[in-house]
Amino acid sequence: MARFDEYIEKVSRYIEEMRSGGARAVEFDHPGSPEQLREGLPIGVGPNANPGIVLRSDTFVELGNPQAGSCAALLWTDRPSLIRDGRITLFGPDIQESADASLPFGQILTVGGNDLGQEDHEKLQQAQHVADQIEGYMVRSASQNLWSRISKDAAAKGFDFETLGRALMDLVKTGAPAVSAVEVLFVTTSKADVKRLDGIVSGVREINREILKETWKARGYDLDCDFDCTSCKDQEICDDIRDVIVARKKKTGSEKDGERP
Amino acid sequence: MDRDAVREKSLARYKQERDWFALLREATKLLPGEEGRLQEKLLTILLDSKETVVDCVENEKSFIAGYFCNAPELFHAMDLPWYMLMETPFLAASAPYLLSDIEGAENMGIGTDLCTAIRLPIYYIENGLMPVPSAVLGLLYPCDGAPMLHQVLEHNKAWKDVPIYSCDPPYTSDERAVEYFADELRRMADFLQKHTGKTLDMEKLVEVCEESNKSYTLWQDYNELRRNVPCPHGWEIGGAQAFAISQCFVAGDPRCTDWFRQLYKCGELKIQEGKGASATEGWKEKIRLFWFDIMPYGWIFELMPWLEEEWGAVIVMDMFSNFPYTLIDTSSEKTIFHGLAKRNLLDAPMIRQARGTAENFSNDIGRIVKDYKIDCVIWPGHMGHKDGAATTGIMRETCRELAVPFLHIGLDLFDRRYTNPEEVRTKVSEYFRGMGLG
Repeated sequence: MARFDEYIEKVSRYIEEMRSGGARAVEFDHPGSPEQLREGLPIGVGPNANPGIVLRSDTFVELGNPQAGSCAALLWTDRPSLIRDGRITLFGPDIQESADASLPFGQILTVGGNDLGQEDHEKLQQAQHVADQIEGYMVRSASQNLWSRISKDAAAKGFDFETLGRALMDLVKTGAPAVSAVEVLFVTTSKADVKRLDGIVSGVREINREILKETWKARGYDLDCDFDCTSCKDQEICDDIRDVIVARKKKTGSEKDGERP
Repeated sequence: MDRDAVREKSLARYKQERDWFALLREATKLLPGEEGRLQEKLLTILLDSKETVVDCVENEKSFIAGYFCNAPELFHAMDLPWYMLMETPFLAASAPYLLSDIEGAENMGIGTDLCTAIRLPIYYIENGLMPVPSAVLGLLYPCDGAPMLHQVLEHNKAWKDVPIYSCDPPYTSDERAVEYFADELRRMADFLQKHTGKTLDMEKLVEVCEESNKSYTLWQDYNELRRNVPCPHGWEIGGAQAFAISQCFVAGDPRCTDWFRQLYKCGELKIQEGKGASATEGWKEKIRLFWFDIMPYGWIFELMPWLEEEWGAVIVMDMFSNFPYTLIDTSSEKTIFHGLAKRNLLDAPMIRQARGTAENFSNDIGRIVKDYKIDCVIWPGHMGHKDGAATTGIMRETCRELAVPFLHIGLDLFDRRYTNPEEVRTKVSEYFRGMGLG
């Protein structure tokens, strides 16, 4: 299943370009099982770890406000060799140094597993929606951007991008046992850097949609009608009919201004 | 009925509604606390909108009839008053003549399988109960039923010479589709300028869209509050009103932003006080519901309070409260129309579900169930939402995967006789019991 491999390579190139361009980078390594990832974390991870909500007044830092820049994607492959398990790469300022800030935010999760297949796709996408599973971290309920808040309490406990990366890797590995490797990229340098990353992974949304359609189709449901004017063999006839209607309306003077044929 | 007769009759009805809402506003002034002020502000915006239309009819000023998904920010930027063609069904059971109007529509011989929200305005047009505007904006989406209404008004004696424009909605949801629809909105603006004598001032449009963005930002902030357990508000306050304020009256007006600010304040206060949707002593939130449709406005008071009091079941999220919106980029004319196109083609409620591809149903359910800690998804199965009926299987399977109960009822949101409230309550109770909820 190599549908995302092209994008995984593109993201790798983006990382190299950011490095060679002199962007401030930090790297952490946390390979291992969900239990190992969770061990020693300053905050709780798992269902109901964040039972409340993070109010504006409780917010230490905001990530991915659309005005600051936001981008997120999950890429998966059945060639885990493309991924270095446990690597968390951060370009830009970390959470602890950004009190009261609204940071641009790019997040790419790259996931690998020899047995990963299309049937795991939806589960993996769902794993991105952390909901209440990371203490002090609330991803806002928006369907497009990844826009989140980190609470003051969590920040006081030491919540940073290393924490977030480990928590996300834990959730992905727990949610989809076929996953053997996860790598995380965070970008907080600038809106322009996040926008460039968004451009790189923009094609992923279409692939996601295609996979979703195929998965549902295999279950007997058509999400979409694979048929429109451009694919219809009768388009020419239809166009002729429209022309006849227009001509007829002109002839009878019944065409009102603003009315369409 | 000719135009003059319609003018008098529709004005009488419109004034009747206005007076009814004025009475309600007076009553809200007696309500204590911040929530009383919230309702008062909402009714003031609604009343002003009604007053403006009355003034237009009486003094022969330009105004239009359209829909929430016709980019109402454009109307505001053009200083063009408007009313929604399908307004009355959404005015809740507060419109006391709803049932007799539905019966009137039946007596006209309109098929009872046509959505009641469409049957009603057909009845109003044919009976001279809606003011005849300077121009009409039609709606070719989300469903095939909506154009029926336009066919009726095109043949009605009082309405037939009113110019009409309908944006052509593309089937797809990609960038090309949004650009196409943006052009349709541009043509719509040209049409409005031509037929109403109003002009579209781009500076004013920027101002309106920026104000609209402020409202939407606050709406999203407020929605995050609804994720709290217990949810600060139930069916009475929140989503449906937020939709109306942002899209049905004067979109992008500072009074709307002020209302949203008040809404946020009310929600935050409730959370700080640890209070939930009901003020009843000892009440506890037990079931968090996602009502995936419009509220049952025709008989809302016969179901929603019962759900809360009998079962501790709270409507935490519904179709019109959902927030899939993005803010409008006001940096250029192109980005503004692009933003308006996206909002009105892909995001607006019901349009999102019924015009859009079925993935919206499964994706939105997945997201909402997780974010809002939903215990049960209810697809009411409104008789008019045949598009949704086709996706019931997808919704059910999505819910199975999420391990959240899914209930499909089958009812008419406006006509209580279709599945009467007692039957609905019984069905819901049996389901809750069967699922071990509550």
